[in-house]
Amino acid sequence: MRHILGVDIGGTFTDFALIDDAGEINLWKEATTPADPGIAIRDGLAALAETRGLEIRQLIESLDLFVHGQTIATNTVIQRNGPKTGLLCTEGFRDVLYFRDGFKPDRYNVSLPREKDFIRRDLRLPVTERIDYRGDVLQKLDEKSVREAVKVFKKHGVESVAVALLWSIVNPSHEQKVKKIVAKQLPGVPVVLSSDVLPMIREWERTSSTVLSAYILPGISEYTINLEKYLAANGFGHNLLVMQLNGGTATLAQLLKRPIYALASGPAAGPSAGLYCAERMKVNNVITIDMGGTSFDVCMVTDGHPALTQDMRIHDNPVGVSAIEVHSIGAGGGSIAWIDKGGALQVGPQSAGAEPGPACYELGGDQPTVTDVNVVLGYINPDYFLGGRRAINAEASARAIDKVIAKPLGLTTEQAADGIFRIVNTNMVNAIRVVSVEKGIDPRGYNLVVGGGAGPIHAGSLGRELGMAQAIIPRFGGVFCSYGMIVSDVRLDLVRAFASNTAALDLARINKIFSELEGEAIAELKSQGFPRSRIEIRRFADAKYSNQIHELTIPLPSRGKIKKSDIGDIAEEFHGLHERMFSYCVRESEVDLFHWRITALGKLPDTEARVFKRTRKPVSEAQKGTRPVYSSEAGKFKKTKIYDGDLLQHGMTVVGPAVIEQENMTVVVLGKQTLKINRYGDFVLAIN
Amino acid sequence: MAKPGPKPRKSAAGKSGNSLDPITFSVILNRFNTIADEMTLTMEKTAWTSIIALARDFSCAIYDAKARQICMMDALPVHTNSMHVVLREIARVFEGNIHDGDVIVCNHAYSGNTHVGDFVTACPIFHDGKHMFWSMTKGHQLDCGAFIPTSTPAAAQNVWQEGLQLPPIKFYEKGKRREDVVRMYLANMRWQEWLYGDFMAQLGSIWTGRRRLVELAETYGNDEMEKYVEGIFDYADMRMASEIRTMPDGDYDGVSWLDTDGQGGTNIEVRARVSIRDDKVHINFAGSAPQTPGANNSSFGVMQAAAGIPIMCAIDPSIPHNDGCLRHISAEAPEGSVCNAQYPASTALATIGPDDTMQDAVWKALAKAVPERVIGGNGRIPNVPFFSGTDSREAEDREWGCMFFNGATAGGASSSTDGWPLIMTSAGMGGLKILSVEMSEMLYPMRIDRQEINTDSMGHGKYHGGPGVNIQISPTSGAMECNLFGDGQLNPPFGVMGGTQGMGGGSYKESLTTGKRTYCSSKGRIIIAEDEVWVGESSGGGGYGIALSRDPELVLGSVLEGLLSVACAKRVYGVVIDAATMTVDPKKTKALRKKLRAAGVSRHVTVPNVPGAADWAQRRLRPGDEFLIDPQ
Repeated sequence: MRHILGVDIGGTFTDFALIDDAGEINLWKEATTPADPGIAIRDGLAALAETRGLEIRQLIESLDLFVHGQTIATNTVIQRNGPKTGLLCTEGFRDVLYFRDGFKPDRYNVSLPREKDFIRRDLRLPVTERIDYRGDVLQKLDEKSVREAVKVFKKHGVESVAVALLWSIVNPSHEQKVKKIVAKQLPGVPVVLSSDVLPMIREWERTSSTVLSAYILPGISEYTINLEKYLAANGFGHNLLVMQLNGGTATLAQLLKRPIYALASGPAAGPSAGLYCAERMKVNNVITIDMGGTSFDVCMVTDGHPALTQDMRIHDNPVGVSAIEVHSIGAGGGSIAWIDKGGALQVGPQSAGAEPGPACYELGGDQPTVTDVNVVLGYINPDYFLGGRRAINAEASARAIDKVIAKPLGLTTEQAADGIFRIVNTNMVNAIRVVSVEKGIDPRGYNLVVGGGAGPIHAGSLGRELGMAQAIIPRFGGVFCSYGMIVSDVRLDLVRAFASNTAALDLARINKIFSELEGEAIAELKSQGFPRSRIEIRRFADAKYSNQIHELTIPLPSRGKIKKSDIGDIAEEFHGLHERMFSYCVRESEVDLFHWRITALGKLPDTEARVFKRTRKPVSEAQKGTRPVYSSEAGKFKKTKIYDGDLLQHGMTVVGPAVIEQENMTVVVLGKQTLKINRYGDFVLAIN
Repeated sequence: MAKPGPKPRKSAAGKSGNSLDPITFSVILNRFNTIADEMTLTMEKTAWTSIIALARDFSCAIYDAKARQICMMDALPVHTNSMHVVLREIARVFEGNIHDGDVIVCNHAYSGNTHVGDFVTACPIFHDGKHMFWSMTKGHQLDCGAFIPTSTPAAAQNVWQEGLQLPPIKFYEKGKRREDVVRMYLANMRWQEWLYGDFMAQLGSIWTGRRRLVELAETYGNDEMEKYVEGIFDYADMRMASEIRTMPDGDYDGVSWLDTDGQGGTNIEVRARVSIRDDKVHINFAGSAPQTPGANNSSFGVMQAAAGIPIMCAIDPSIPHNDGCLRHISAEAPEGSVCNAQYPASTALATIGPDDTMQDAVWKALAKAVPERVIGGNGRIPNVPFFSGTDSREAEDREWGCMFFNGATAGGASSSTDGWPLIMTSAGMGGLKILSVEMSEMLYPMRIDRQEINTDSMGHGKYHGGPGVNIQISPTSGAMECNLFGDGQLNPPFGVMGGTQGMGGGSYKESLTTGKRTYCSSKGRIIIAEDEVWVGESSGGGGYGIALSRDPELVLGSVLEGLLSVACAKRVYGVVIDAATMTVDPKKTKALRKKLRAAGVSRHVTVPNVPGAADWAQRRLRPGDEFLIDPQ
C-alpha cells in the first residue's frame, strides 16, 4: 500500500492528512512544538503509523509524496522575532527600505504610527559600486567596502544577510561577488541575493523581498533540513516538498534559494483544496472561502487557475513575487459585534480569539461574537459544539447580545442577532466582491467552495446575496488547507527582463529566453522524477501601452515557438484585459512587453478518490430531530429538521430549511435551498 | 471652555434615519468606498506619465446630482476638499444641458478649480432617466501649455502665461467624443502623446465609476438610493457636529509666510482667524497680503480646501469625509488678496506654496484651540524640481519632462508619534509617491547618485518631525532644464508646544569642474549642464513638545535609525550616548538634562512667528558660491 502525506504546521496544531492509493483518508492533529517543529512531525508520523498498523519506517518507505506547509515564516515576520539580519546595498541608497514608496496610507489620521522596518539603519550598510540601466558597470565593486561592512555585521552578531544592489536585475555580477566575500568572512551565515529572489525592476520591492527572505530563512532552514535528513535516513526515496505562496510546491533546495516563497504557505493551499473537489465535478470556476476563528480568506479560481497578485505586503513591506491572491478580512466565529461612535452596528475586525473566546464559552468573554449569534439563532447546537467536546452556554450568548447591541439599538435579541449575522455576511460578501466584481468578474458564473468550521453556516446566505447558483462543501472542509497540500502540483515561477514591442517583436530573442527558462524548469522537474509528459509550461508576459508605466500580466501562446502570426492575438489579449479591468483600451497604440514569465508545473498523478455508491435509503434515516431555528425571511424561529452529517450518503437530498451537524462543522440549508451528497461524499448546495 | 459631550444617538442614520435599515445603510456606505477605490486604481495603474502613475498626483471622488461629495478614497486633501466647488460651476454652466454620456472637463482656476495644472474630468450618471451621481477625477497634468516646460510656472504673471485655459467644456456629448475639441486641447500641450494617455486614464476612471454606480442604482432603485445617500450625509453631519462641539468656542489667530512670489518679492504674509462656534468652524484670511505679481497666489478653490484640511485632520479619521462633514466648515478671504486672487492674476502654484502657507496659518491658530490634535508643520517642497530636456540615448531623440518628488520634505510630529518622511506637502498629506530609482533612470536620461536620510534636518521635540532627504542627480544626455516651484526654504516647518522648527533646506547645482555652487530659492528656472549635478537637501517636519522630555531610549533609537546624530542627541535632547557601545549613559544624561532645563525651555504654542526664520542657505554658502532668487 502506497501513501501520500500532507503536513501543515499551524500556530497551535500541526495537521496531518494521509491518503492511501485506495483513497482512504486519515487525519491527525499534534500540538505544534515551536522550539523544534520537527518533534511534532515525528510524533504525528508515529501516531499515523500506529493507526495504519505499520512501523514508522514502513510508513515513511511507503510514502510517494511528503508535502509540508507552515505558518512559521508568516509568524516570524508578523511577530518580528526573526534573526538579526543585515543588508548590503549600493552606496548612496542606504534608506531604500526606510523611504518605501513615500506613501502614507491614511491621509487624515495625523497620528498614524509608522510600521518599523525589518532592518535598522545601523545594519543597512553601503558597498561602493554602481551599474547603470543597461547593465554597464559605472563603478567597479570595491571589495574593501564589502569587507568593512561585514566587519560591522560580525561585531553585531548578524545571523542572516540580504544583498540588494541597484540594477542587479540586468547585471548580477556585483551581487554574486559580494556573496562570495561574505560567505568567506561569515561562514555559516546565509546570504540571499535580490537577483535570485526577485529579478524585477523597482529597487524597493526587490530589496524588501530579499530582506524578508533573509529574515525568514534561518527559522525554516534548520528544522526542514533536519526533517529531510530524518526522512532520508528512514527510507523516504524522494525530495521533501514544501508548499509555496504561489499555490504550488517546491523542493527544499529551491525554497532555500528563494525563501520568500515560504511565506503564507498555509492559506495558499486553500484554492488547491477547493479546485480538487470542484474539478472532479467538472467545475473549474470557483471562489474558495475559508472562515475560521478570526479571519475569512477568499480566493478566485478561474478556468482552474487561482488568481495571483503582485501586491502582497507584510507590515507595509512588499513581498514582490506573485502570490496566490488570498484576500483576508477579520470575519470569523470570534469576530466581535460593536456599535461605533455614530451609532452604526459593526462586526470585527477585532476577534475574541480562543481566549477569552465567544461569550458562550464563559471564559471571561462578555462581547457578543458571530459564534454567539449562531448559537442564539439556533444554527449551532449548544450540546454538539466540536462534537460535544466544548460546553457552551446559549444564555451567555443572549446576554452579551442584549447588553451590547440589542438594548442600545432598541431591538429584540433575535433582531440584533440577525442584524449581526447579516452584517458579518455583508463584510464577507464585500470581501468576495473585492476579488471578483471589482476585477470585472461576475461571481454568478462561479461555484462557491466552502471551508472552515463556520463557513458552511454562512455559505447559503453569501451565495444567495451574490446570486451564485451552487456551493460545494467538501466533507473535509474543516481541515481545508492541509487537504489542499497533498493535491497541489510542484510549481516553479521564473522571470526574465527584456524590453520589446509589438511593432517589432524580437521573436528570436524571446523564443530563446523561453527556451532557456523552460530548459531550466524542465531539468529541475525531471530531476524530481517528473516525466516530460507530466510537466506543463505556461507562458506570460507583462504588457503595457508604449508610453504607459504599469504593466498587466497577460497569457502568451504556450506551445511551440511564438510566431509572427501570434503577435496580433497577443496585442488583442492585452487590449481586451485592459478594457475589462479599466473600462477602456487604446487599440491604436503599440504594446510593450517587458518581463517574460513562465510557470512550470510538475503535475501530480491523480489521487484515487473514494467513490461512494448511491444509497436507496431515505434521507429521514440521517435526521436527528428538530429544533427551532431563526429564519431571516420570516423574521421568526421556525421548527427545522436537524441531520447528522456522518449519516448523509450519496443519493440523499436535504430540503431546506435544515441544519446538518458534523464534528468539525455545521451546514445551514436555507428555505428553498436543497443539498445533495455527491459520489465523493461532498455536500453540494443548490443556493437558489 | 469645553462644551458638554455629544448626545448619543440611537440610529446610525441620524436625522432622516428612522426609516433606514441600518444593515443596508452599512452596505451602501461601504460600496461607495470600494467604487471610489476602483476608480483610483484605474487611474494609477493605467496613466501614461509618472506624475499620475508613480507619484499619484490625482484624486477620484463621487458626488450626488446636487454636486455634494458622497465619497473619496485615498485622495489628495487639496483636491477633495474643494472638488465640489468646480463641480458646482460645471453644473451651473451646463444647467439644462447635462446628458447621459457627457464628459465635462475643466482646468480653469476662475471656474472653481484649484490651479491650471489640475485637469478635471466629470461625468453625470443617469439611471432610469434620472441624473443620480457624478463621478469625477482631478489629475495634475505634466503640461498645460505654459511658456516654459512645466505645469507649475512660478514666474507666470497672468492666466495667459499659465497655458491653455479650459473653463467647463464638453469633451464628450451624449457618448460621442468631440474629436475637434480634444485635438484643440492636445495641440496646446507639450508631450501630447503622454498626455493623451493620462486623459484616457481619467476617462477610464470616471467610466469605471459610472459602471459601478449604475449597478448600485439598479440594485436599490433611485428612490431608495437617494434616501440612503441623505442618510450617509446625515451620519457624517451628526458625527462632525459632535466632534466640533468638543472644541472650545472662540477666535484663534495664526500667521505664516510664503518665501517668494516667483517675481523676487519675499516673505508674503498670510493670516488666518479660526472661529469655532458650537458645531461650526469659520476661517477668515482677512489681513493677508495683497495678491502677488507672480504665480504664487491662491485660487478660490484652494483657499476653501486649505481652510478646511487642518480641521478635517483634527477630527476622528473614521468619520466619512463627505458633504455632511464639509458643511460644518466655511471659509472666506478678501478678493484680491494672496489667498483669493482676482482675475487675471496667475494662480499656477496655488496648490503648493499658497495652500501650505494658508494651512500653516490655520494649523497654528488651531494649536491654540486644540493643541493635542495638531501636528508640527509639514515641509513645502522647496526642492521638488520639474526636469525636462532632450533624451538622445536611443537612435531617435525624444523630448522628456518629469516632476521629480524623490527629494521632497517630511511631515511634522503629532502629540503621540514622530513625523513621517516624504509627506511632501500639507496639500497632499502623504498621498504622493516617490519614483523608483531604477524606473527613473530607465524612463529619463538622468542618474541618481544619492538618495538618503538627511540627518538632523527636522524639528525636535518629545516627538520629532520626519527626516528630509539628501539627493543628488546627474543629467546623462545633455543639459537638463530644472524648474522649481515650491516653497519653505526661508520659512521652515513650524514646531508646536515647545517643539522646534525644521531646517528649511533647498537645492543648488554644483559644477563638477570648478566646484562652484549656485543656490536657487524655492522657485525659479535653472539649467543643469552636462558637467553639473543638482543637489537637494530637504527639511524634516516640525517637532512636537519639549525635546528634553523625549524618552532617552527613543532618542537612541532615532540615532540608530540615522535620523539624529549623536551630537544632536546631546545638544538638543540632553541625551549622552556612548559612541563605542551605542548605549545611553543614564547618569550623564540626567545631569545634562537638569542643566539644560535650568537654562530654560521654550514653551511657545508654535514657532517661528517671524518671517524668514530658516538660515539653511546662509549657513551653507561658501566664498564664490552664488544665491539666486526666483531666476527666470
